Amino acid sequence: MSTFVARNGIGESQRRVEDFRFLTGKGQYIDDVNLENQAYAMVLRSPEAHADIKSIDASEALALDGVLLVVTGEDWKAAGYGTIPTKSGVRKFKDGSDLKEPPHHAIAIDRVRYVGQPVALVVAESLDACRDALELIEVDYDSLPSVTHQSEAIKDGAPQIWDDIPNNICLDFELGDEEAQKKAFEDADQIITLELVNNRVTATPIEPRGAVADYDAETGKFTLWNASQNIHANRDTIADAVLKIGKENLHHIAPDVGGGFGGKNGVYQEPILILHAAREIKRPVKWINDRAESFLSDTHGRDQVSTVQLALDNDGTFRGLRTETVGNLGAFCGTVGPFTPTGGSSRTQGGPFRFDAIYYTAIAPFTNTCPLDPYRGAGRPEGSYQMDRIIDYAAAKLGMDPIELRRKNLIPESDLPMKSPMGLDIDCGNFPAVFEKTIEISDRAGFAKRKEASEAKGLKRGFGVCMYLECTGGGPKEEAKVVFRDDGKVELSVGTASTGMGHETVFAQLLAGHLGIDMDDIEFHQSDTDATDIGGGHGGSRGLEVGGSAVTQTSREIIEVGKKIAAHRFDVGADQVEFEEGRFHVPGTNHTMTISDAIDSQNDPDSLPDDLEPGCMNISTVFERGIISIPNGGHACEVEVDPDTGTIKVDGYWVVDDFGTIVNKMLADGQVMGGIAQGLGQALMENIVYDESGQLVTGSLMDYALPRADDMPRMVIDYYEDAPTQKNLLGVKGAGEAGCVGAPPAIVNAVCDALKEFGVHHIDMPLTPERVWRAIQDAKAEG
Amino acid sequence: MPAITVRVNGLEVTKEVGARTLLSTFIREEMKLTGTHVGCDTSQCGACVVTINGKTVKSCATFAWEADGADIGTIEGLGDAENMHPMQEAFREHHGLQCGFCTPGMVMTAVNLVENNPDIDEDGIKHGLEGNICRCTGYQNIIDAVKTGAKAMRG
Ligand code: FES
Ligand code: FES
Repeated sequence: MSTFVARNGIGESQRRVEDFRFLTGKGQYIDDVNLENQAYAMVLRSPEAHADIKSIDASEALALDGVLLVVTGEDWKAAGYGTIPTKSGVRKFKDGSDLKEPPHHAIAIDRVRYVGQPVALVVAESLDACRDALELIEVDYDSLPSVTHQSEAIKDGAPQIWDDIPNNICLDFELGDEEAQKKAFEDADQIITLELVNNRVTATPIEPRGAVADYDAETGKFTLWNASQNIHANRDTIADAVLKIGKENLHHIAPDVGGGFGGKNGVYQEPILILHAAREIKRPVKWINDRAESFLSDTHGRDQVSTVQLALDNDGTFRGLRTETVGNLGAFCGTVGPFTPTGGSSRTQGGPFRFDAIYYTAIAPFTNTCPLDPYRGAGRPEGSYQMDRIIDYAAAKLGMDPIELRRKNLIPESDLPMKSPMGLDIDCGNFPAVFEKTIEISDRAGFAKRKEASEAKGLKRGFGVCMYLECTGGGPKEEAKVVFRDDGKVELSVGTASTGMGHETVFAQLLAGHLGIDMDDIEFHQSDTDATDIGGGHGGSRGLEVGGSAVTQTSREIIEVGKKIAAHRFDVGADQVEFEEGRFHVPGTNHTMTISDAIDSQNDPDSLPDDLEPGCMNISTVFERGIISIPNGGHACEVEVDPDTGTIKVDGYWVVDDFGTIVNKMLADGQVMGGIAQGLGQALMENIVYDESGQLVTGSLMDYALPRADDMPRMVIDYYEDAPTQKNLLGVKGAGEAGCVGAPPAIVNAVCDALKEFGVHHIDMPLTPERVWRAIQDAKAEG
Repeated sequence: MPAITVRVNGLEVTKEVGARTLLSTFIREEMKLTGTHVGCDTSQCGACVVTINGKTVKSCATFAWEADGADIGTIEGLGDAENMHPMQEAFREHHGLQCGFCTPGMVMTAVNLVENNPDIDEDGIKHGLEGNICRCTGYQNIIDAVKTGAKAMRG
């Protein structure tokens, strides 16, 4: 096979390289990693939301045949290990004092603070022996009062999760000019207020988390295969901060990872525990979470309650926006947990709309629940939900048309570039054009007819839109390394992490396109601390933006070196050499040299000018993003609601995204569709619920509903490609998270539109049939 | 431990299995066919779907001994990278997979759906995939892949 890609690799819906592996059962996921002589580990998790551990007796478990080791908090104390630090970008209270960061050990020490927290690790010859041993560990708990809801946790007299953290508050935060916001509110004709719940959800990748740890007693080096999305940063934390073994002694690798969506970004306890165990028993140790444990222990997302206020004039002009949020953090600071409800949710407040002033403020308390950390979008879906819900709510309250209201207030193209009131650098885009295109493709003209048809069936049809604006994030730096091997293969290593996004294809597509080489000759490596020196992993839709730019930058440097080699051969100045589609040539002459020719010469000193060393085309560069990009777009959605049962059918879905340059449309579409499905899940069915005593009610796929094929509408996806950004080398703006930023408000808006005749103008997510039915009954009762 | 005799992807094997050994464990660990995945513990996700005597089953909810004497089909038996089954081709063509974790179960189910109903339509596909969860794709490309795969299978 040979696969050549044109136009620098940009714009081709190249089919995926990794698919051959995945489609034939040859993927290598974490549970497929097995080492000789490996032992198995399972975690004993806390059944208590909040309790003192009086004692742990593992003697019977240890006496069991095949049981090799039991690790508890006492061992951890004795070893003197460090805590797992938070990397939250916001670290100060409004008054300048430091964020409260309680000690987060890999295993509970003396007290448990959420159901599911690791209390002991059992290591045995088999999983069956592990299971039996777990049953035999006696833990004596002394229950303490617990609190799971963030609004309760901050009240005076609420149970204290940490003795020295008043009102359980980890952090508070503000952004924007409050004085200006108040002035805008005073000047405005109307102030509309809406309380919103952004429901607690969880990423639920279909592959559960897992890891395999190995220790080489002779060299003192560890190897950790880990279903993780942030291999380099997490290596540093695990090796330096926690185990104190020095990061050079930990080789951290992610095999194929079966989905992540943020849920595999953070540093988790179990991989650390099995590294410890591997050193103790001098054998490899393997641990795989089961699904029930995943619900208890994978970090959760969202879980914010907010009061949103929109000030506007009677003609519909937006004047000011104020959002006050209380965001649940769970029992500990997640890896970046405290950032999400504070800085993360503040930046995109106001969306693509014009405001005189915006003010955002938040409180982030601890509760007796599993820690929260980023879930796809982390903060941007919350901001978009607040903005686009308050617009529709205001429109309903004031008798305005929500589409007109948006049209009137979108930031015009002529205002760009601009700094938003939240300090966001919006360099380019055309929000009105994107909006009109969204409305156009959604066949508004045919809506009345479809509504009539629904009506005839006793169903209520509604239409909703959302104009989202978000931003990229994650690590600003990325490395791309290229090595041309003697066997003709080209090794491309990038410090990113793919959990299904197709990096193996798109980065190879870019390299092949830039250099004019055969894509099939490229061997791709990522998520391996030996493959690249640095690596930003996954998160914040950064893959193409930062990783793709790094590949482009490295390609350009390779071409520059190739020009020197060609110039040397033709005895001309390097500035006289041009490069096009895999060939160096000197215009006006018949001197040409193919890239493979240049590559072949790179190891022959005679073919090189004096200033080049053999191997000079093997290049690694680091690209650094200066300013984050601003993806934006419009979502439109049609729903049909059965008022008798409250069931919702999402019947049509249209999106126009401005992701800047589209490198591989097929992959971009895939990201958008998957994101919409997750947004639809959050809007209609997904909900993590803890009961009063802190027990997780939604602990399995029977209780936590995920969208299935039948739940999804047909999605029509289009792009606005006339505004590539100058912030990176490709002009891309990031595509990974946008789908689930736009979907929840579009869907809830559509449902509220369908139900407006009943006087239902808001229902909190998830819009389950029961909630919808109740909302209709309540509205009817109120008359 | 009792022994079972099964044909896996056409190859007959006799192996001892424990009373608690799940078919998924048998396939993954005894047969070393790791294309069959395990994504849950409540037989909800469908990542583990294989065929027994031509019928799809969730191998995580089946004991290995229950398959004694049966013909078992796994993703590895469908086609390899050089010679993919039309349904595998269609999934690649339509980008019907992202992380690939649900994919083997999804493809096994899809092939079986089409074998049972060669003219299956979109609603039939959606309904037929009810037992398979994909968290990555939003299903649209999977549905399109199954349509194309069905067409190719009809020949
Ligand atoms: S692993 Fe069998 S259904 Fe989920
Ligand atoms: S492709 Fe990832 S779960 Fe389906």
